[in-house]
Amino acid sequence: MNVRAFPYLLLPHLWASRNRARRRERGDFARGVMFGGVGLIVFAALVQGSYWLTGHLLDYEELGDYLLRIGLSWLFLTFLSFLAFSGIVTALSTFFLADDLRLLVASPVATRRLFHARFFRTVVQASWMVVIFVVPILIGIGWARCAGPGFYLTALATIVPFAIIPVAAGTVVTLLLVNTFPARRARDILMLMGLLFAASLVIVLRFIRPEQLLRVESLPDLTDFFATLQSPITPLLPSFWAGETLFASLAGGADLMHAAALWTTALASVVVVGAANERWYFSGYSRSQEAPKARFTHFRALDVAARALPLPTVRRQLLVKDLKIFLRDVSQWSQLLLLLALVLLYLYNFSVLDLQRIPYMSGYIKNVYAFVNLGMAGFVMATVAVRFVFPAVSSEGAAFWIIRTSPLPLGDFLWSKFWTGLVPVLALTEGLTVAANQFLGIDPLLKVMSALAIVLMSFALVGLATGLGARYPRFGADPSQAAGSYGGVAFMVQAVLFIIVIIALVGWPSSVYLMHQMRRAPFTAAQQLLMAASLVAAAGLSLFVWLASMRSGVRALEQMG
Amino acid sequence: MIAIENLVKQYGQFTAVDGVSLEVPPGEIHGFLGPNGAGKTTTLRMIAGLLKPTAGRVLVNGHDIAQEPEAAKLSLGFIPDRPFIYDKLTGGEFLRFHGGLYGLGEPEIGGRVREMLELFELARWEHELVESFSHGMKQRLVMCAAFLHRPRAVVVDEPMVGLDPRGARLIKDVFRRMAERGVAILMSTHTLEVAQEMCDRISIILKGKIIARGTVPEIRSMGDGHDDHLTAVFLKLTGGSGLQEIDEVVG
Repeated sequence: MNVRAFPYLLLPHLWASRNRARRRERGDFARGVMFGGVGLIVFAALVQGSYWLTGHLLDYEELGDYLLRIGLSWLFLTFLSFLAFSGIVTALSTFFLADDLRLLVASPVATRRLFHARFFRTVVQASWMVVIFVVPILIGIGWARCAGPGFYLTALATIVPFAIIPVAAGTVVTLLLVNTFPARRARDILMLMGLLFAASLVIVLRFIRPEQLLRVESLPDLTDFFATLQSPITPLLPSFWAGETLFASLAGGADLMHAAALWTTALASVVVVGAANERWYFSGYSRSQEAPKARFTHFRALDVAARALPLPTVRRQLLVKDLKIFLRDVSQWSQLLLLLALVLLYLYNFSVLDLQRIPYMSGYIKNVYAFVNLGMAGFVMATVAVRFVFPAVSSEGAAFWIIRTSPLPLGDFLWSKFWTGLVPVLALTEGLTVAANQFLGIDPLLKVMSALAIVLMSFALVGLATGLGARYPRFGADPSQAAGSYGGVAFMVQAVLFIIVIIALVGWPSSVYLMHQMRRAPFTAAQQLLMAASLVAAAGLSLFVWLASMRSGVRALEQMG
Repeated sequence: MIAIENLVKQYGQFTAVDGVSLEVPPGEIHGFLGPNGAGKTTTLRMIAGLLKPTAGRVLVNGHDIAQEPEAAKLSLGFIPDRPFIYDKLTGGEFLRFHGGLYGLGEPEIGGRVREMLELFELARWEHELVESFSHGMKQRLVMCAAFLHRPRAVVVDEPMVGLDPRGARLIKDVFRRMAERGVAILMSTHTLEVAQEMCDRISIILKGKIIARGTVPEIRSMGDGHDDHLTAVFLKLTGGSGLQEIDEVVG
C-alpha cells in the first residue's frame, strides 16, 4: 500500500479553498473590501497602540522595562486561556463532529496519521485569531524598541510552540469529555461553560473599577496593584516562558532556557496527546456517533402562554415552533448570556459615571449625551437584529419546504418572523435606553424623544433585517454564519446609515429645543416648522424602511425558484 | 469475504444489535433486510469500522477490524446510506483524494478515476463541483469511490435510494459483475424487488436478531406457501401488514 504522509489528509480543505476562491459569489468583492478594510484598520491600530505604549514605557527606564515584561506575560496569559478553551471547542468539532470523519474513519488511514492531520488543523483553527492579534502587537513593540530581525524570528519561534501547548491540553480535555458524555451533549456543555466564563470575566473585570486607578488618592495602593498583577504569573506557565523569551530577545539577548521549555513541552504534549488519542480516539468517536434519546425541555408554559395570546392558530404555532427551536438549541440562546453581560456592563457604567467631577459634563452637554446613548442603543439593536432576526428565514433550513408547500401565505410567514423578532429587540433596547437616561438624569422631554426614537428604530431595523433575511437566505448554513453573509453585511451597512440619519433627524430639533430652553428664548414659526418636519421625516423614514423592507422580503419569498 | 461473529451493540440499556453472526463468501451478494430500526445500519457501520461493537468480532477478508483496522478497511468498499462528499471539490478531485486514501499510486489514480467515471456515466461531470450534482449523481459518485481501489468486499447501505431506473439498472449490473469477479457484497435494502432480483442469499434482522436466512426460494417458502412474493413473507416474519389498523383509521 502506498502510504501518504498526514498532510495528504489536509488536501481536500486546500482544494476546496482554491475552488471557492475561483468561483466568486455575489457580494464577494464588497465583503472583501469591507472586512479587509476593517482588518487593516484594526491591524494598524494595534501596531500604533503597542508602539505608543512601549514608547511611553521607555521614558520610565527600569520601571518601564518591568512593566513591559509584566505586560508581555499578561498578554500571553490572556491568549493562553483563550487558546486552551478554543482548543477544546475546536477539537470537539475537528476530531469528533466533522462530517468528513465518516469518510476518513472508514478508510484505511492509521489513527496516528489521522491524529496528526486533525491536530494540525485544530491548532491552525484554534489559534489564527490569536496570531492575528499578537503579530501587530509584537510588531509595534519591536518597532518602538528598534528591535532587529532576531526579535521577529524569535517571535515566530515562540508563537508556534505557545499555540501548540494549550491546544494539546484542550484536545486531551475533549478526548476525556467525549469518552464521558455523548459528543453533542459535550458541545452544549462546553458552549454554555465558555459563554458563562466570558460573561463573568467581563463583569468581574469591570466591577474591579479600574477607573479608580486614575484618581490621585488611589496612588498609595499602587504597590498592591502590582502585587495583584504579578500573582497569577507563575513561572510554570508557557505564557511566562513566552514573555521571558521575547523580552530577552527585545533586549538583544537570548533566553534559551525558556525557549527550550516551550519547545520541549510542545513536542512532549504532541507525543502524549498522540498516544492518548491512539488509545481512546476510536471509542470516543464511536460514542459520538451514537444518538441516545435526546433530553430536552418541553416548555409547556410556553404553550399555555401562547394560547393566551390573541393570535390566529397558524401564527401561534409558528411562534411556538420558533421559540422552542431557539430555546432548545444551546448554541443559539447561550449567546444571549454574553449580550446580557454587556448590557449590565453598559448600565453599570452609567450608574457609576460621576458627571459632577467632569466640569463640562453638565447641563447642555449632559443632555447631548442622551443621543450618544441613543446611538449606542441603535448599534446594540443592529447587532442583535443581524445575529438573531436576520437569520430567521435561513434558520428554517432544509425544513423550509414545509412552509412553502403549506397553504400558509408567505407574507403571513414573514410577518410572524417580524413580530417574533420585534418584541424582544424593542424590550431590550427600550429598557436599555430608559434606564441609561434615568441614570444620566436628562431632560424629561428628551427621555420621551429617545423612547419614541427607539420604537421607530426597532420597527425599521427589525423590518429591514427580516426583509433582507428573506431576500438573501442561506438555508444550508449555520444561522450564526448568516450574519457574515452578503445579506448580513448589507444589512449592517444600511442599518448604520439609518441610525446616523435618525439620530441627526431627532437630534437636531432636540438640540434647538435645549438651546432655546437654556437661553429662555422663544421659537420662531420657521424653527417650529423645521423641527416638526425633521421629526416627521424621522418617523416617515422609519415607516418607509420598515414597510418597504417587509414588502421586498415577501416578494423575494414568493419569487423564490 | 465478510464474516461477523456474535456481534452485539448496546446503547445504554438498549440493545440495537443482539448477537448477529453472518458470513458472505467471495462472489456472493447477500441481502440484509429488516424493518426500520431493526439494526441494519448499526451492523453495517460496525463492519465498516465506524462504530465500536460492544461484543463480537468482524472479519473482512480474514482481517479482524479491531486488531488490523487498516488492512481490513483497505480491502473493503463502504457505501453509506447518507454519504459525505466534499461539496467544494469536483467529482474528479474527490475520487483522486479517495484513491490516495486507499493507497493507490499517482500514475494509477488518473486512469482508474476516468475508468470509474465512465462506468458510472459521470465522465462529463469530472470537473464540476459536487455541490452541483443531483442526489442520484452523488450516489453514483460514492459508488465510484467505493469500487476505485478494487475492494474484495463491499458493504452497501440502501444503494438504490434516489436513483432513476437507468441508474438503478446500472448499479445492479455493476454489482452483479463485481460479484462474478469474486467480490463479496453485503447490501441492506428496503426494496424487496431489488433483493429478490439481485441477492444470492438473504438475512432478515428484527429487533437486533437474525430471524431468517436463506436463498430467495428458501425465504419465500417460509410464507404460507401460496404467495410467491417476498413482501408477504417479509411482513409475516417482521410483524404483519397492519392492514386492519389502516382500515380502522381510514374509516
